[in-house]
Formats: sequence, C-alpha cells, structure tokens
Amino acid sequence: MIAKVYSSCVIGINPTEVVVEADISPGLPAFNIVGLPDTAVKESRDRVKAAIKNSGFSFPLKRITVNMAPAGVKKEGAAFDLPMALAILSCEELLKTDKLDSFTFLGELSLDGKLKPVRGALPVAIGLKNFGRNRLLVPKENAREAAVVKEVEIFSAQSLRDVVDFINGKADLKRELSDPERILSRNSRYRIDFNDVKGQEHVKRGLEVAAAGGHNVLLVGPPGSGKSMLAKRLPTILSEITMDESLETSKIHSVAGLLPPNKGLVGTRPFRAPHHTISDAALVGGGISPMPGEISLAHNGVLFLDELPEFKRNVLEVLRQPLEDGSITISRVSCTLTYPAKFMLVGAMNPCPCGHFTDPKRECHCSPIQIQHYLSKISGPLLDRIDIHLEVPRLKYEDLTDKRRGEFSEKIRERVNKARSLQKERYRSEVMLFNAHLEPREMEKYCGMDRESEELLKLAILELGISARAYDKILKVSRTIADLDGKNTIEAHHISEAISYRSLDRNLWG
Amino acid sequence: MGREKISVGRTGEDIAFKYLRKRGYGIMHVNYRTPFGEIDAVAKHKGWLVFVEVKTRTSASFGPPSLAVTPIKQRHIIKSAYAFLKMRRLFDIDWRIDVVSVMLNSAGGPQSIELIENAVEDIY
Repeated sequence: MIAKVYSSCVIGINPTEVVVEADISPGLPAFNIVGLPDTAVKESRDRVKAAIKNSGFSFPLKRITVNMAPAGVKKEGAAFDLPMALAILSCEELLKTDKLDSFTFLGELSLDGKLKPVRGALPVAIGLKNFGRNRLLVPKENAREAAVVKEVEIFSAQSLRDVVDFINGKADLKRELSDPERILSRNSRYRIDFNDVKGQEHVKRGLEVAAAGGHNVLLVGPPGSGKSMLAKRLPTILSEITMDESLETSKIHSVAGLLPPNKGLVGTRPFRAPHHTISDAALVGGGISPMPGEISLAHNGVLFLDELPEFKRNVLEVLRQPLEDGSITISRVSCTLTYPAKFMLVGAMNPCPCGHFTDPKRECHCSPIQIQHYLSKISGPLLDRIDIHLEVPRLKYEDLTDKRRGEFSEKIRERVNKARSLQKERYRSEVMLFNAHLEPREMEKYCGMDRESEELLKLAILELGISARAYDKILKVSRTIADLDGKNTIEAHHISEAISYRSLDRNLWG
Repeated sequence: MGREKISVGRTGEDIAFKYLRKRGYGIMHVNYRTPFGEIDAVAKHKGWLVFVEVKTRTSASFGPPSLAVTPIKQRHIIKSAYAFLKMRRLFDIDWRIDVVSVMLNSAGGPQSIELIENAVEDIY
C-alpha cells in the first residue's frame, strides 16, 4: 500500500514542492529513506520511529520505504519528519484522507513525538500559492511567521498525536490569523537613535546624504571616534522598510534560521556587522549546503565592514558582483542558486595602522611604507563602489560635555524620505531606483548643472586633479544633495559639498 | 575441546527451543541447512515466520551472548532466510529474525534466557 503526504522545502530561498510517499510491504523489517536525503533527513529514521511509538501507535514491523519526490533534489533538514510519520501511519490506514490531502505539512519530530520548529516556513507559505495549495500545518513556533501570507490557511500543532487527532476529526487545531501591517509597524521600532551621538554634525550630514541617495560610505578616523556607533544608527534614518521588502528580507532570515519564533516579519532594516575574520562563504553565501551569507542577510539594509583593511583580500573581492548586481549567484555541481543582496555598504577604517595619522592630538608612529601597505589592502574596484568618504575626527572635549543634542532620527528620515520620493518619481520609467545607481549615460540626462556648478567642477578637476571616476561620484552625490535641497538643477554649493566627500582621495591616496 | 564447544551449543539450543515452545512458537525446522549457512530454527509465531538464531555462553567475560551476532553473522542469517523463502516460494509473507540468548550456569543448566524479537533489520 502506498500513501502520499504533501510537504515542501526551500532551495536557496525559493520554495519547491515535495511529496513524501511511503510504501509498506511484507518482509524482513526495514526502514529506508530515498530521494537524496542529507544527514539530518537520514537521521529521521530514528526520530520518526521513536515519535510514532511514543505517540501511542505501534511501528509497523515491515519493509518500509519512504521516498521524497522529486528524487533529484537534495533534501535537507529535519522538516520532513512529520510528513514521513504521517505517510507511514496513513499506509497503516490510521488516517482519514481528506485533511491529509488538502494540507501541506512541515515539522521536525523529537523522540517523544513533540513538534519542533523548522526553518523556511515563510518562503514555503509564500510558495504554496504558486503550487495551488492553500493549507499549511507547521509547528507552533513557526505559525506567526507563516501566517503573514494571508492567502494560505495556517494551522499549528505541538505534537504528532495532535496532528493525527486533527486529521481524523477528533480534535481541533488553532488556526493562526495575522495582520501583517500591524506586525510590520510593531516590529519597526528602533532602540537606538542618531540623537544618541554627540557632535559629529559633519559626519551625520554625510550619512544623511548617503541615506538619501543610497550611496556607499567609507568612514575614516582614529579609534574611538564613534565610527561604529554612527554606522549602527544609519538604518534609523533610512526610509521605513516596505511590506514587499520586509517579505523578501524575512524570507532570507527565515531560511537562515534567524527569524525568532513569534516575530513574524523583519520590521527594521537589517544591520549586519561581520567580524573581519569572516570567510568568503560566510560573507557572500555558500558553504557545503549553501546558506545565505551576510550580504543577503543585509538585503534591504546595511552591511557594515569595520576595520576594512583587516578583511582578507579575497573576501573583499567577492563583494564585487553583489555590489554591481544586487544579487549573488553561487554555483554548485548540483545546482545554481541566486540570493538577493541589495544593501548599503558602510566601511570603517583607521587612517593608518596605529590609527592616528590624521589625528591632531596624537602622533602617528607609522612609516610611510606601512601606511601605503595598509591603505593598499583595499582594492581599487571596491573603492570604486564607494561614493562618499567621511573623516570622523576625534571628539572634541566641548562636544563630549555639550548638553545639547543633535536631531532625532525621525527628523532626518523625513528629509531622506522627501529626497527618495523625488528620485522614485524621476526614475519611475527606469530600472534603477536611486542616484547611487546612475550610469554615466543616465547622469547626462538627469544631472543637469547650472553654469556656476559646471565652472566649479571644471576648476576642481584642474586644480585638485580629480580623476574621471571621482568626477562621476561627485556628480551623483551632487544630484542627491540637490534632491535634499529640493532643487531640480544642481547648483554650485551642491557640487562643493560633494567634493568635500572626496577629500580622502587626496589626503590618503595621494 | 571442540567436542565440548559443540555440546555447549547443543545444550543451549535445547534450552532455547524448550523456551520458545513455551512462548507459543511452533518450531517447524531445526538446524536447517542452506547454501549460506545453518538456521538454528524456523518457527511460526502469531502468524509470523520467524528465523531464530541461538547463542549460548557459559561465562559473561566475553559479553552478553547476543553481542556474538555480529554484522557478518547477521548478513549470513539474512541470506539464509532468503534462501529458505525462495526455496519455498514464500514471497509475500511477514517474517522476522529473532535471537535467543542463553547463559549457562556451572552445572550446565540455564542461568538466564533472553529473547530478542526482530533482532535483525535490513539496511540496504
């Protein structure tokens, strides 16, 4: 006799349907699982057997074969425990078929028959719509996450016994209802604020410009000047995450196991700050069974690389594709996965190995060769993607003790939002969204300057020796500054501010 | 020495078969020979066809008798069982392998008897 139970798994972050079948035949008792199971799935044998026995059923002493179709797709994780157990019980004719067929099941089983949470419940729920299925049964801890998908009925259970009784109509299970908008707004409060940072008004302005135009930033300054503190607060001045963006980001976090139970949706823009000893696979994604990397976890948010020159060079190299395309493609023998990775990059570094090169108060003990070597660790192509350089000076004593505080993030965000709406309107028929993504041809079209600014820019090129690359960046950043100013044509003071964000071109990289 | 060993085994088997009969096993064959080895007993129990392997020990110093059913031995038992089934053309029946583990005391009588149902499962 054969039984079929519907389930699902996630490849990358894309859901795919899995049908778990069980066949029971007479013969020497055996229990085998086929369909490219990974180790966790292979271990299901022992979990399923114990869970069935400990739920008050007898485990059939027969030849049991469990197949997970499609057979060519690698099955990972323990989420198939529940569908397997149900398939075996169904073979033994212990289950009524109407609910069994209309639901999709996910769940890990512990030895005593309890259901344990799984990863990827949200993308599975989203995918069900496309498979023409509309009922999902998940462990209790995954219910809230899956329920944001309104088109699918989400039920949750705590044990195998509960699921069996539900299927046979002997008991009810809780249907999880959700109000995604309310969850989103409830989860969107930040615990930190720009107001927390004393002084550094110039840097705050620079970050405001970066936020408005989506420009990548490099913060340079001595240790303790507040680079990390400022970077951490950048998400608070970015525009609020939209429902679509949140769904995308939540999917990725769900797959990575980073969506806490009962959270539902990611409401604040992600801020990821990997340590500089990180490997390339952990940064961009991959590994033996591919998982999303830090850049994908930072999707729709900020990736902060503190101590930028300390990162391994090959690790920084792999950032090129995602910074260019907004996604990362990971190739394996069995499949090719593409993860989204659209993020704002913020790098931070000291101006030299000892950190005090540009510090007026402390002396720098580094030799020119040391400084040269230190700075050259950051490749040209990476620097090329960074539009704004901000010097973060050591805080002056007056600033530290100043009772007055800077603006609240909310105020700054209002201006950022206004500038972003201008860009959205301007680029509505184009493929990119923000000024940072402008290509040279588009710059001609959208970055109109008045005569004064053209003169100023020409002067800057001649006098300051600004390269063609820097010219493009200055133009893009000027466009953003003009947007913040509510002006359509770029004016001279916009240009001069933008030029100030390239000061490091000359100071450090000579 | 060889003869002693054989008689220990035979004693254990006798004890085991008596025990099985008491437990409701209908023993059909004893020491059944197949091209792959000998099956100690072929029995019927509650509708199941059971192939029984008996292991006897006189001292516990080498571990419990059941441990003597090594993976290699298990494969032999499985192969022998299949040979039996093929010869009798019994393809669609429920069957299993049980192990009876007998510990003998110094007088040659049973000190403990343990029956392990479904002792050997198929893993392919």
